[in-house]
Amino acid sequence: MHRKKPKAFYADIQNVHFMSADMLLLSALAGIAVVFALGVLLSKDNFYSALYMSVTLVFVATIYAFFNLQPVFVLIAFVFVGAIGIVTVALAATYRSEPERQVSGLWAVPVAITAFFIILAIVCYPVFHPQPVSSSVIEFELMNFLPVTEYLLLVLFLISLVILLLLSVLKIGIGERS
Amino acid sequence: MPAIDLISLSIIYATSFAILLIGYLAAVSSKDVIRLLISLEMMFGAIFMALIPLFSIAHLATTAFGLALITIFASSGELLILISAIAILDQRKKDIHTSAITIGGDKL
Repeated sequence: MHRKKPKAFYADIQNVHFMSADMLLLSALAGIAVVFALGVLLSKDNFYSALYMSVTLVFVATIYAFFNLQPVFVLIAFVFVGAIGIVTVALAATYRSEPERQVSGLWAVPVAITAFFIILAIVCYPVFHPQPVSSSVIEFELMNFLPVTEYLLLVLFLISLVILLLLSVLKIGIGERS
Repeated sequence: MPAIDLISLSIIYATSFAILLIGYLAAVSSKDVIRLLISLEMMFGAIFMALIPLFSIAHLATTAFGLALITIFASSGELLILISAIAILDQRKKDIHTSAITIGGDKL
């Protein structure tokens, strides 16, 4: 029987420890994100729902930082949460009304059924696909993205789209006033 | 750097599904348009979560970043449209509840 050298054996044990610590951290981040997402659903006040939504998105961004995807973390944290999320919080604070329950208890049935099937799929996947899936390290470099002309063109088109939308919104707003 | 294996993939997809379902549930049960806006942003958050495994495929990493950019621009466009919808609804009906909207859709 093949026996591993002690050094390689201890390195394997250390890797297992690091992996479990990583998994625990990832599970904790994902769990907190889901708890805050539940807060959005269960909160009666839109203002608190918008705040919980921003925290959920910050935790989604943190999971990107966990995998060392810093450019996407910056985009989500500063553009998605920092601009879009805060505008939503401001809107919710402006139109603050008497809190009322918005979720019917009957919706719990389809949610429970869907959650059951998702959990079943996750649990059964290793049973029906016994061959191990190789783990892969994320190696994304922003410098590989920037020189590609097609992507620059895409960003240009998207900026034009947002400017066009902004102009049409302004036109509708002016038309409504007059 | 942490690697993406089957367990982390399961955690990411389960979280993404959970946030997406909560977003759907918040959308179908929303009684005002601001809650609708919040639920749509939750759905975009779930899309961001689902994009993470794409970055682990070496030749798809730049495409994944492109998709993340498209998602951010799409959410910005959605925010602009919904803000204008909220402002117009408030001007015309003096109310932002979805029950005030009588145009379009089916009556049950």
